[in-house]
Amino acid sequence: MASSSHGHKHSNGLYTFSSRPRPVESSSKCREPSSERTQYNYGNIMYDRRVVRGNTHAQHVLPTTAQPDPAETQKQMIKKRAAARKQAWKQWRLRTPEALQGRKHIDVQTELYLEELSDHIVSTHAECQTDAFLDKPSTPLFIPAKSGKDVGTQIEEGELFDFDREVQPVLEVLVGRTVEQALLEVMEEEELACLKAQQRAFEELRHNELAEVERLQEQERRHSEEKERRVAQQKEVLKKERETAEKIAARAYTQQYLADLIPAVFTSLRNHGYFYDPVEKDIEMNFFPWLMAEVNNTLEKRYIAREMLDAIICDVTEKRLEEFKELDTQSARDWQV
Amino acid sequence: MDSTRAPVAFGRWDVPLLFGRLQQPEAAERLRSLASLCDLMRDPERLYRTVTGGFLEQLQDLLKDEDPSVRSKTCELLHLVTAHSIGRQAVLSSSLLPSLSQLLDDSSSSSRINALRALNCLALLPAGADALLCLVPKLMLKLQQQDGEDEDDGDDGDEEEVLLLSTISCCSRLDALPALASDGVSLLGRKLTRRSPEVRREAAASLMELSIPVEGKRQVCEGAVLPVLVGLLQDEDVDVRTNAAGVVMNVAIITAGKLRCLDLDVVPVLLDLLSKRLEEDERSKALVLYSLRALTALAEAPDGRRLLLQQLPLLARTTEARHPDIRRAAQTAVRVVTWTP
Repeated sequence: MASSSHGHKHSNGLYTFSSRPRPVESSSKCREPSSERTQYNYGNIMYDRRVVRGNTHAQHVLPTTAQPDPAETQKQMIKKRAAARKQAWKQWRLRTPEALQGRKHIDVQTELYLEELSDHIVSTHAECQTDAFLDKPSTPLFIPAKSGKDVGTQIEEGELFDFDREVQPVLEVLVGRTVEQALLEVMEEEELACLKAQQRAFEELRHNELAEVERLQEQERRHSEEKERRVAQQKEVLKKERETAEKIAARAYTQQYLADLIPAVFTSLRNHGYFYDPVEKDIEMNFFPWLMAEVNNTLEKRYIAREMLDAIICDVTEKRLEEFKELDTQSARDWQV
Repeated sequence: MDSTRAPVAFGRWDVPLLFGRLQQPEAAERLRSLASLCDLMRDPERLYRTVTGGFLEQLQDLLKDEDPSVRSKTCELLHLVTAHSIGRQAVLSSSLLPSLSQLLDDSSSSSRINALRALNCLALLPAGADALLCLVPKLMLKLQQQDGEDEDDGDDGDEEEVLLLSTISCCSRLDALPALASDGVSLLGRKLTRRSPEVRREAAASLMELSIPVEGKRQVCEGAVLPVLVGLLQDEDVDVRTNAAGVVMNVAIITAGKLRCLDLDVVPVLLDLLSKRLEEDERSKALVLYSLRALTALAEAPDGRRLLLQQLPLLARTTEARHPDIRRAAQTAVRVVTWTP
């Protein structure tokens, strides 16, 4: 296995290896021209005889000593030879194709380049064995090789930003807003206080003026009441005077009237007959009615008598009339007959 | 990462995602999402997006949640929402108000306080005060309950009272009748003697609002509130003094008020306040104005006029004050004092 372990940097691909992984090449004992060892002769690792397969518990472990057992070696060599022979035979079966028409195959031997062909294949025995259970050495620090330019940077003390300078506008804004808000609130409060003071002043003025107005009203009322009272008083006085005058007049008049009251009274009484002669009165009262009644009775009797007479006369007359009528009818009947 | 907050998405998806997270069954998850939302809602842009996206309706369910911390966080969120006008309008137009008012009776004090804070912000808007007018009786009831608790409540109790009182005063600014109807005057009179100056200030402010209609003035006169107020005129806190002077100014307009104030000998106190405060800073300007107006009102009564005629030089000095309002008020006062029928 050739392993090219030059520190080959493959710039393409993702990895960089110190030894690039290669697939396992099939080992062919019979080497073809070594320069033509192409890369296509990879054998499938699954079918590689060198890969140990299956349970490895009962297998022969290759002895760790460098010198193999002679019998073992012999056996191996025989096996190898047989295998090689077989392989060679297989190879040689593929002979060169027949010559074309008009040509001939000639065997040529290049004498200069003679090689001794022998069965023995020059082989070197190489073996390798992993070391037994060594501790894995610490991986060396992977320092990738430099690529590109080396550039260094370092943030110095005052370069990134200056806190005091940067914070100033922010601080200004914050403080400004707060102060502004506070000013607004204070102004509002002041405004409210002003309004309240104005209201109070107004209230006081109002009370004042109201009191004044009420006082004046009251005064007016009192004055007018006083006036009314005085006027009423005056009226009273006038009325009294008038009444007094009337009374005096009435008194004078009555006095004068009453002066000739008595004779007038007597006269009128006399006229009404309150002073009467008792005899005369008696005659008038008692005698005359009786007299008249008697006269009436007498007259009534006479009337009754006259009426009776009238009635009798009437009866008689009627009877006579009836009789005359009868006579008339009788005579009329007599005429007709 | 902050374990108490849920992670926030970027850009436009932050609010919808967090609101989607609110539907989850575990309370801890909801709490974290709510915490993040609270942080986000401080920004007006996000708030606008939330409101126009109509996400506020989902908060309705959360307000009725079983977990008290979830409820309290929701209220905090609503409080932040009501800090801006668009949020306030949205809350008013949505149906969140009844649920919010139900939370006022909640067991946990933090949700009560946050709900009160949200209602307070709402009440600063006139439309909001209008909507909250129907709540005024309930708020008065709560005040009464607070009254029933003992005096040394912690800061929480004080804060609740302060918030309740300021809400009531904002609503009463619009229309004081509901508060008057629920016996506001006596209730507020009791609050005037609390320890914390904020409670006193707010109570005095509410009383000032309540004493604007005539009915209120009469009630304040009849109640035993006036002596307390006169005492408050010498309180340490400037605001308390200012508000007390305002109430006195309002009450002194009706005749009964004038008489009672003169009985209580309030004129020297007011003059004292005036003379001390002639060098003005902003806050004592109101005090000076109110005192001047109160004195003007008192000067219409003959007794008051007599008293004040003696003090005319002081008033004349006030006419040279720097501020035009004070000057005007002082001139009116002088005119009234020197008026003869």
